[in-house]
This record gives sequence, structure tokens and C-alpha cells, in this order.
Amino acid sequence: MSTIAHKRHALSLLVATALLAPSLPASAVDADAAQVLARQSGCFKCHAVDRKKDGPAWRDVAAKYAGDAGAEAKLIHHITSGEKAKFDDGHEEEHKIVKSNDAAQIKNLIDWILSLPGGAKP
Amino acid sequence: MAMIARIWGTLRCPSVKYSVLTLLAVGFVAGVLFWGGYNTAMEASNRLEFCISCHEMRDNVYQEYKQTIHYANRTGVRAICSDCHVPKDWAHKFVRKIKASGEVWGKLTGVIDTKEKFEARRMALAQNEWNTMKATDSRECRNCHGFTAMDVKRQKPRAQQKHQEAQQQGKTCIDCHKGIAHLLPRDYVEPDDE
Repeated sequence: MSTIAHKRHALSLLVATALLAPSLPASAVDADAAQVLARQSGCFKCHAVDRKKDGPAWRDVAAKYAGDAGAEAKLIHHITSGEKAKFDDGHEEEHKIVKSNDAAQIKNLIDWILSLPGGAKP
Repeated sequence: MAMIARIWGTLRCPSVKYSVLTLLAVGFVAGVLFWGGYNTAMEASNRLEFCISCHEMRDNVYQEYKQTIHYANRTGVRAICSDCHVPKDWAHKFVRKIKASGEVWGKLTGVIDTKEKFEARRMALAQNEWNTMKATDSRECRNCHGFTAMDVKRQKPRAQQKHQEAQQQGKTCIDCHKGIAHLLPRDYVEPDDE
């Protein structure tokens, strides 16, 4: 199997696992590790925790998906698939892919974002 | 003192044995050999293998760099350590090599000889390099990259916009492109988040 096929297979498994797995308790989230991955992936170039940049504030993301059982899977797909993201000026381009092949690390990042107190100004 | 004066006097005395042509020929050949030797030494110390001959480099930054686009990419062009960290022209290269003696001193005194020590100093080490790149208008980046050579139509809209803003604001490559060949320090904060 090619590397790309391997990655796609791993990502499919990751999304499937996220869909099936129950939500993690907040205490299971490693905030420090999540921020390290976010930093190394360049997420903070477009996102901040509590203010909007080119991308939405992550507190707003958490607020938007509060109570959404499928949020984790949707967001994991969002940062691993290169799906289109819409910008303020209306144009769309592929969202950057997180720099990790470790499903647990990626899940931890999304769980941390979703665990943030909702709203840009909580 | 008397010996130095005698040698100096001999050196200043015109030759009574060799012709000017012989002296010029010998001087020319010696010059070529010296310059060739100088460049050979410079190029030898610019090789990737030389850079990672120290475990401090091999175990830390080299492992990170291998995961980046500057190491492997679809076009097969590789930028090695010296492409980004050593100037091309001989004068700046010479100055950089002199500065590198500080790194040799660091090696001898073991200031970053463990992973923990390296991580503890990563921010300071990175900041040194960023300051150098900023001061030179990212000279080593520009050996390969340049605004005039960019076909912006082939860039994504956001990249087009950011590159346009960078030119208008007089920014240089390293202002935005930090941590592209190595991991960012844990305490790094994006400039617009400070």
C-alpha cells in the first residue's frame, strides 16, 4: 500500500473511531500537548484561542459545536482531509493539514479545542 | 626582537637570485593553492555530513529537518543546512565560519549535549538565527526564493494576499516563515498574538 493510501486508511480509521467513541472527559485532554501540535502545525498563523484572525477563534468553534455529538469527527476531518475552508472575502481554499500522523495526538487537539469555554469573550 | 627585525629585513630585501618572472610564477601558484585550499575547506565544512557529525545536530535539528519540505519534496530539490545558514559570498561566509567557532566552543563545553539542554536553549538559539536572518533581509532564503520570481497566480489566494502585504510592509521571509525546517520553541508566540 502506498504512503498516501496508508494515510487515507489511517484517517478513515481515525474518523470512524471518533464517531464511535464516547466523548472524553475534560480531564483526559492534554492541553499542553494540544498546543504544541497546534504550534508546530502553524495553526496559530490563522487561529487564536480567544480572538478571530483569518480563521475563527477556537472558543467560538467550541461554542458553535457545543452539544454536537459529531463535532469531534467533523473537526478531525476538517484538519486532516484538506477540505475547503471559507474565508471572510468569500474565497475558499484547502484547510492546512495538521502535521501529525498520530491519531491520538490529533484527537487530543480537537478535544482540547472543544473543551474551551465557548465564545470569543467568555 | 632582533630576530624579527632580521627576518623583516630579509623579506624587504630585493631578490638577487630569482627573476621577477620566477617570483611572480611562484606567487601565482602559491596563491592558487592557498585559495583552492581555502575554498575546499569551506565547502567541506558546508556539507550536510559535516554538520551532522556532531550528535547535537544529528539528534535534534537534523531529525526535525528530515520531516520538512526542505529535505524531501516532489521536485527533488534539497536545501541542506549550509544553504540556509551559511552565506554564499566568500566575505560573509568567512565571517560566518569565524562565528561558528562559538558553536565549536559550545560543543567542547557541552552546553547542549543532551536533549534536555537543547530544548532549554531552543528559544535562544532560534532567536539568534531569526535575528540574523532578519538583519540580512533573509539573504539565505533569497538564494532560492524571491518576490520577483514568484508566479503569484499559481499561489493560493491567502498566500497571494500575504505576499502582497509583506512587500508593501517591507517584511522579509523570516518574519512569517519561522519553524519551517525545525520545530518551533515551546514558548514561541506568533508576532500578532504577542
